[in-house]
Amino acid sequence: MSIIEIKGLKKDYPLGDTKVHALRGVDLSINEGDFMSIIGPSGSGKTTLLNIIGCIDFATEGSVMVGGHEITALNDRQITDIRLNKIGFIFQTFNLIPVLNIIENVEFPLLLMKKHSASEVRKRAEKLISEVGLSEFARHRPAELSGGQRQRVAIARALVTNPDIVLADEPTANLDSVTGDQILSLMREMNKIEKTTFVFSTHDQNVLKYANNITKIKDGRCATE
Amino acid sequence: MKLLITLSLRNLFRQKRRNILLGIAIALGVTILVLANSFSQGISDIMFNKIMRWVTGQVTVRFNEKGRMNREIFRDKERVMALIKNTPGVLEADEGAGMFCRAIGNGKSDNIIIVGVNTSLEITEETKKELEDSFRLIEGGWKDLENPAINNPVIVSEEKARFLNVKKGDVIRVRFRNMFGQDQAARLTVSGIMKNDNIFMQPVVFLELRNAKLIFGYKPYETASLTLKVKDAVKNSAAIADSIHAKLKPGVAVIHALTARGDKSSVADVLGYRSDEESKKKLSALLKIKSGSVEAALKKDGVVIFNTLAGALKVKAGDEIKIGFARKFEETPAEKYLKVSAVAADNPELKGNVILVNDEKFYDIYYENLPKPAPEAFIPDKDGSWAGLVSPEWILLERTANTEEAKKKYIALGKKKWKGTTIDVSTMYETASDIMKLEGVLKLITLSAVMVLFFIILLGVVNTLRMTIRERTREIGTIRAIGMQKNDVRHIFILETFFLTLFASIAGIAAAYISMWLLSQITFKMSDNPMGMLLVNGHLYFLPTFTGIAGNVALIILIAVVTAYFPSRRAANLSPAKALGHFE
Repeated sequence: MSIIEIKGLKKDYPLGDTKVHALRGVDLSINEGDFMSIIGPSGSGKTTLLNIIGCIDFATEGSVMVGGHEITALNDRQITDIRLNKIGFIFQTFNLIPVLNIIENVEFPLLLMKKHSASEVRKRAEKLISEVGLSEFARHRPAELSGGQRQRVAIARALVTNPDIVLADEPTANLDSVTGDQILSLMREMNKIEKTTFVFSTHDQNVLKYANNITKIKDGRCATE
Repeated sequence: MKLLITLSLRNLFRQKRRNILLGIAIALGVTILVLANSFSQGISDIMFNKIMRWVTGQVTVRFNEKGRMNREIFRDKERVMALIKNTPGVLEADEGAGMFCRAIGNGKSDNIIIVGVNTSLEITEETKKELEDSFRLIEGGWKDLENPAINNPVIVSEEKARFLNVKKGDVIRVRFRNMFGQDQAARLTVSGIMKNDNIFMQPVVFLELRNAKLIFGYKPYETASLTLKVKDAVKNSAAIADSIHAKLKPGVAVIHALTARGDKSSVADVLGYRSDEESKKKLSALLKIKSGSVEAALKKDGVVIFNTLAGALKVKAGDEIKIGFARKFEETPAEKYLKVSAVAADNPELKGNVILVNDEKFYDIYYENLPKPAPEAFIPDKDGSWAGLVSPEWILLERTANTEEAKKKYIALGKKKWKGTTIDVSTMYETASDIMKLEGVLKLITLSAVMVLFFIILLGVVNTLRMTIRERTREIGTIRAIGMQKNDVRHIFILETFFLTLFASIAGIAAAYISMWLLSQITFKMSDNPMGMLLVNGHLYFLPTFTGIAGNVALIILIAVVTAYFPSRRAANLSPAKALGHFE
């Protein structure tokens, strides 16, 4: 069953007097529980595609269904709610909030949801931190952790709301190969434990072994392998 | 909200140096603002509560007989006092009596103001403390003023005693012209010396009220003015003055007398008639003269009787009649002779035994021999033709709102030449509203200067915020991507500015209090300088008020938050994708 359904997706960026065609008509379907990789060289449109799937950027043309919602028809408040409730993000540069400690960073999306009690929030965050193996660093600030540890926190944060989809934009690009492998293994493991759909972009051919579904993207167009 | 507050506070402490510098600038502005406002508030407090309050009272009822400024006398003190004492909000009511005099000491002379002080009045501990703070005795005590063994014991200021070359126990001779224009002299004995920093209070010489009234020529039941202390004066004075004013509406002045000529006598009611031109015209139309003339009837000693009484007494124009009546405060009855100017036909609206007397002559008889109230006395119908033509017991002057109006009123009073006693109810806030204006101007100048300072500071706030937003663009992108709504992003930055301003304001207030304490430790010797009146016991006086400070801080926070709103909104409106792609 498709959790993401994209048809004829185009995205243009203005650049001075000209237009950059970042996506030129992408059709893509991602199934629930997939661990999918979008690969392609730099500038091929991977990040743009992930941003549109993640509802943080808008399509110029085409249809994007995320979890049954046509996101191109929604207003900012509704889109923000979808990001909060249905999508988790893992960024290349980790993007943790520096003034919050690890457990607070993981709790952050749950607190934004305003659905759970403080004890439920704390319990869920501790579980995720334990699953990514950082229990002993729970009270540390992000600056006190290594790159790999920070990305583990980002994974925990992305999963804490129990989202339908986790989007990871080049999650290993800022990590050494050993740590990168560990992170991808962890994501794969979490994909199995939490039954969450993972979509991650990479230009590294070595990480493809982790994916069960690969989409190649080049010059704004893609083909599924 | 807790999450937003946590984030705002932590972000605030993240850029410590920048925020501390900005906070110091805001705190400095708040310090200046609080200091300046407390100083101007202090000046007002000195002027009103340490000077005016003792000179005029918070609410004053002034009496001017025949409308003359120097003839401060009201002949029935208890009547007004009874009305005033029952007014809600009045804490203390006392008589005021003061007189400018020429004083002769030991080989030196100078002008002084003798002020009657009621030492037997039961005053609150608070008033007693305020009195002792305002007039510090360095020799003698207030109770010495009551000592019957001393001839007119007085308390004089240290400076005046030095100038007159007198010390405790010495005699000061005084000459003055009393309210009736008679030159008087008296001997005062120095029984106490007081210290006063206020140059305007240095000529004041305190004498026990009973002694003062005796010297000035007042009878015990007469008074010059009444001064009141009221609850929460700033807030209530005007309303209490209005309430007292409403109670002081005068009735018709009437003398219920026995009138006689030869062996004929009759009961009569003597009424004054108003002698202004407009009233005279109306009287001319109403009076149907049978004997004598209208012109004679309306002269300043004009007396008109009506047919019935004229018949009973067998009098005609030009005859003299005697009136006798019981007095309110004297045991012996009053006897007066009136020359009848005209006899008029009976008037359907007046009783036949009425005698009309020109108000100038009438008030002379009425005030000097205040008649015993007689319920059976005839008073014209208040809705009839005579209502506005007969003389009232007194003339109640209109209330005024400020010094300007009060000045106009007193100028008009001088020109109007009232024949009766005028009663004026005023508060010290309106008679000295210029002081309040001065305070307002001082506050405005300070506020304007500080606003300029704050404008510069707020440029700093805007710049800092813009810098902060630029530095945290990716962070904004992250929290928006995670699911934070635009409003919450905006609130984070506004809250940061709010807390920065709040903390800086608290620090500024603390600094202002420390500065006020330090400044008030300095002793100034300015007893010969008018600026000394701005001091309390030789020290600068600050009066910070909660509402003043809270108002200032609220204003500053409001300005800061409004200033922060626009950059914060810009931050909230950033596209998450663009914000995440931002590189420094």
